[in-house]
Amino acid sequence: MANETRMDMTDTWKNQPVEKVAISLDALRRKSQKLESRVVWRNLREYAASTIVIASFGYYIWKFPAPLVRLGCVLVIAGALFMVYTLHKRGAAKAVPAELAFRTCLEFHRRELERQRDLLRGVWTWYLLPFVPGLAVFLLGLYRWTMAQPNAPAHVRVIMITFALVAAGCALVFAGVGKLNQWAARRIQREIDALNALEKES
Amino acid sequence: MKTETAAATSRQDELYQAAAETYGTALERLGRGYEADPDRRRDLLQEVHLALWRSFAGFDGRCSVRTWVYRVAHNVAASHVIREHRVNSRTLIGLDAVESLPAEHDSVSAADRHAALEKLLRLIQQLKPLDRQVILSYLEGLDAASIGDITGISPGNVATKIHRIKNILGRWFHKGGSHGE
Repeated sequence: MANETRMDMTDTWKNQPVEKVAISLDALRRKSQKLESRVVWRNLREYAASTIVIASFGYYIWKFPAPLVRLGCVLVIAGALFMVYTLHKRGAAKAVPAELAFRTCLEFHRRELERQRDLLRGVWTWYLLPFVPGLAVFLLGLYRWTMAQPNAPAHVRVIMITFALVAAGCALVFAGVGKLNQWAARRIQREIDALNALEKES
Repeated sequence: MKTETAAATSRQDELYQAAAETYGTALERLGRGYEADPDRRRDLLQEVHLALWRSFAGFDGRCSVRTWVYRVAHNVAASHVIREHRVNSRTLIGLDAVESLPAEHDSVSAADRHAALEKLLRLIQQLKPLDRQVILSYLEGLDAASIGDITGISPGNVATKIHRIKNILGRWFHKGGSHGE
């Protein structure tokens, strides 16, 4: 019975009407070039965000004379440069097109999942932590600079609350982004474990 | 140098054209197993053809052209499924889960090929990528060794999965009319 049904369904499958997608070699070449330029634009977008951060904190170096604020700005800029470098390195490690065929589906699938997991797991080290020292020093410097202003004694409480709120907000955003990414990485790890178990059975 | 590059490009073009001619229809069927929406399916197929053409620049004969073509196609399509899955948060299930499901009661006669095919596609499209690769390869008539070569799953595991597929197809697609559990 099973064999009889199998024959029937493979036959049904193989004889189904399909819409033919015809692509000329010229069209493929155009698409390939388009794909490459899309990758370049995506990288440029990622670099543009860092450029904005660098330009903004570069402006603060000029705007605020306080050494601690300036040091914070320099550290934030260094963090942004480190992030750009990591992004660039990650982009350069992209798979060559033939790798799609070099790897079996199991390997390819696992590698894709591992790549996503590592990226999510590493968010703290390459995306969040590089900005923490800079932002902390910048906020501390800005706080001290604000408190040193002539009219500050009249608004001490407001200044303290504002800075506490900003610092807490930054900490919450960082912790939230980190937690969300760790959670997603754990979910992916479970899929990788299932694939590993399947391979072990082999 | 220029002559070498031109020769490599021409070899890449020839390999692609021969593969598209031989496996073009199988790739269309494969696309149906991965994407239900016709417009997105057309995009996916174009993506598969583009990946195939680009991949042939590095073809080194380490495996047969057939294995090469299916690996590229399944890997591109599986990435598409993972991407879509992340956007839609749709739950994908394994063959073992499908096997324990009751067969659909609105099932159709195998004589009604169109309806049977639609039902089969619904079944395939809810599977996890690896199980989908196995069932699609099985339906294309590939043997267990070839399926193992493409997917990387051991012949023993492929055999188990094929056994499950036969059970599922046997329960869901009877000859001669409506059925259920």
